[in-house]
Amino acid sequence: MNIQINRDQRFIDELDNKLENEGPFCSWELFKMSYHSSVATMTEEFKGLTAPSRLPHITFLQHQLDCAKQVIEEMNGRGILADEVGLGKTIEAGLVLKEYMIRGLVKKALILVPASLVNQWVNELRQKFYIPAISQGKRPVWDQNNVVVTSLDTAKRPPHRETILEQDYDFVLIDEAHKLKNHKTKNYEFVRSLRKKYCLLLTATPVQNKLTDIFNLVSILKPGYLGNYDEFTKQFGRDRKNLFNDTHLKQLVQKVMVRNRRGDTGIDWTKRNVETVWINFSDEEQQAYNELVEIVDETSNFSSITFTRELCSSREACYLSLKKLVNQGNTKNTEAYEAFMKRIEQLPHHAKADKVVELMKDKDEKFIIFTEYRATQFYLQWYLQQHGISSVPFRGGFKRGKKDWMRQLFENHAQVLIATEAGGEGINLQFCNNMINYDLPWNPMRLEQRIGRIHRFGQEEDVNIYNFAIKNTMEEHVLNLLYEKIQLFERVIGNLDAILADLEIQDVEHEIQTIFQESATEGEARIKLENLSSVISYAQQQQSEEDWNDTRESS
Amino acid sequence: MTLENLHNFITDYFTANQCEILENDNGKLSIQLTDKMDEKLMNRPFYWQYVKKLGYPGEPMQVSFITNPDRKDEDGEWVHFGSPRIHQIFNLLNSQGKYTRLFERTTTGNRTALIPWLVTNVKISYTGKHKKDEILSIGLQLINGAMKTMMMDELEKLHLQPSIPDFCYTITPIIRLKSGYQRINRYVENYLENIEHSWAEESWSHLQEEKKLLEHFYQHSMDEDEDRFNQEIKDLEGRFKPQINIEVINGGLFYLSQASSSKIIL
Repeated sequence: MNIQINRDQRFIDELDNKLENEGPFCSWELFKMSYHSSVATMTEEFKGLTAPSRLPHITFLQHQLDCAKQVIEEMNGRGILADEVGLGKTIEAGLVLKEYMIRGLVKKALILVPASLVNQWVNELRQKFYIPAISQGKRPVWDQNNVVVTSLDTAKRPPHRETILEQDYDFVLIDEAHKLKNHKTKNYEFVRSLRKKYCLLLTATPVQNKLTDIFNLVSILKPGYLGNYDEFTKQFGRDRKNLFNDTHLKQLVQKVMVRNRRGDTGIDWTKRNVETVWINFSDEEQQAYNELVEIVDETSNFSSITFTRELCSSREACYLSLKKLVNQGNTKNTEAYEAFMKRIEQLPHHAKADKVVELMKDKDEKFIIFTEYRATQFYLQWYLQQHGISSVPFRGGFKRGKKDWMRQLFENHAQVLIATEAGGEGINLQFCNNMINYDLPWNPMRLEQRIGRIHRFGQEEDVNIYNFAIKNTMEEHVLNLLYEKIQLFERVIGNLDAILADLEIQDVEHEIQTIFQESATEGEARIKLENLSSVISYAQQQQSEEDWNDTRESS
Repeated sequence: MTLENLHNFITDYFTANQCEILENDNGKLSIQLTDKMDEKLMNRPFYWQYVKKLGYPGEPMQVSFITNPDRKDEDGEWVHFGSPRIHQIFNLLNSQGKYTRLFERTTTGNRTALIPWLVTNVKISYTGKHKKDEILSIGLQLINGAMKTMMMDELEKLHLQPSIPDFCYTITPIIRLKSGYQRINRYVENYLENIEHSWAEESWSHLQEEKKLLEHFYQHSMDEDEDRFNQEIKDLEGRFKPQINIEVINGGLFYLSQASSSKIIL
């Protein structure tokens, strides 16, 4: 072993020079202060974290501190951060980066995140961690010592690609790293080729489909650690469950991956009160609904199922879709639809909208209302205004700046935010603790995302979720048979996407649509829905027994 | 480690930089910056460029810093250990407080000889799997070659000033500056040889293990992947190879009285 020693020759040459020229010299005060600031900023121990003491404005959670420590001390700066959604992977990663910067080990870093999150990452690093991160703008700044945040798509494209691959990075971070699970993709190839010292991969789903996903991720960090591809598949197979079932593999992976689950964090999460609000259509509305079901039955058009669904949300949503259909002019019973449109015009205010007003009466708390349809969003905004309730709209398609602006309006001025999409990686609305699901998405993941906007760190109140469903409509089935059964509301379903992948259900929404579409009777639809939810809840039980829950104890 | 009193520290800092203190009360410090400090701290190069070009006098800013966390919502910039402003000041100090020549203030009316000392504050960084720093403050008497560690502690007991006091004269060093520095270096190296370096052994053996894994990974594809293999070996060495960095934080020539010099060596 030899230890390389680097000496300082510049100092004495420069001092000599200054003595020759009689200065300039600094005062004793500045000399003293310079010494003391160096003493204050040095890191005295190999181990431990110094970053938290410099960030007194952030309260770190124990599992975040443990994670950062584990990554630095045991994984030597290369690891997968695979906490469940909402436990603060960004905070953990920021903490690791900050620690390395304080210790002078990282000067040049590349942060690759989804394009929609670039600004958010820059802000978090700057505001929370005082890390002078910059987003890659028009003039590339790849070749300087700095912390650059950009998207993988930008980075891998010429002309950036070539420059980036020439850089020596002290630190590379990839958010949403499950996109790298396939080693044959350009993304994977690109990330493998980066010259890097420390490297963090962030993902909530380290194995999505195949066990080799984890092999590929680990091979970015520590090639050879899990053997080569052939050896790996030979030894551990391809079944993703082996990650949790095979003790040897589990142990190996725990040395390169931190996975916290909500239950392990020991934090008192604020409660989630979920209430199903049953609503009855007015007689007129119910008649109209029944009529529409009949018309739709006659024309088994692929999208016709959406009309009834829309009617459960607002007249406007349904009307607009019908109008579009009629204008296209290729449906069989145009006349029936046209007659129905006339009927819609006569309908009174929607039962759900009235319910919202009723629910909010006498409350001055803030509410978020989620709906699936833009027409409903417009209608609601108008209807609430009629009742003296101020609201702001929110859509996934808004530009970043507009999103921030709307969020701010909501926080400071409006009582209600009406959103069409959780679309929503990105905005945090912890200052609000009431949510109305005006109509339910048919994809449980999207519902969880919605709830995640307000039920997360920083939420200090119990969270109230009101799920609206209209009796004697398809909504009743979906709510009773799907959501209640998989107990979606009561618990967090961080791994539902993995379960669905396992069951080869790619799109729950599509699945449900097909069920309604293809069933001859309501009874048939009900049985099929019931089957679907049984399968999911069975897989859920299995999964919860499988996943490890003692990641941390190993350390 | 934190500075014992950040408020006093920044107050001293702005005083030492000739900034007028406008208010200093209960954890809030307001100051009038000088032109020079405004340029250094406030990050508005275009303004200063413009002012200078037109030959106008610049208007340096007044700023308030708040160190009392209870008052952090008031007007002013909340600063704490770790905040960007404090680190900006630390960074400035790196260059502002690096080289010096100072004389001990003596009050005697007699002619007094001042003895030259070379003082260096050295930061040693040990980098392997992990990293830590250590700071040595070393003084070398340039007449008889006596060496003293923790020199800063000694110097802080004295009164030091930038110009030679009345009735004093300096003795010319017998040991030349650069060979004095060599002696200090030798001292540091000797010190390093005599402490244990299990951190380096650990890092070294870890590096060998990781190299083996890498070789195994590439054993069948070495032909097509040689460049990448070499790159990854380089990355590994950058991450684990044990290194010691010796860097002088600051230093200079200090002329101390005979009395102080003997007391220090004792």
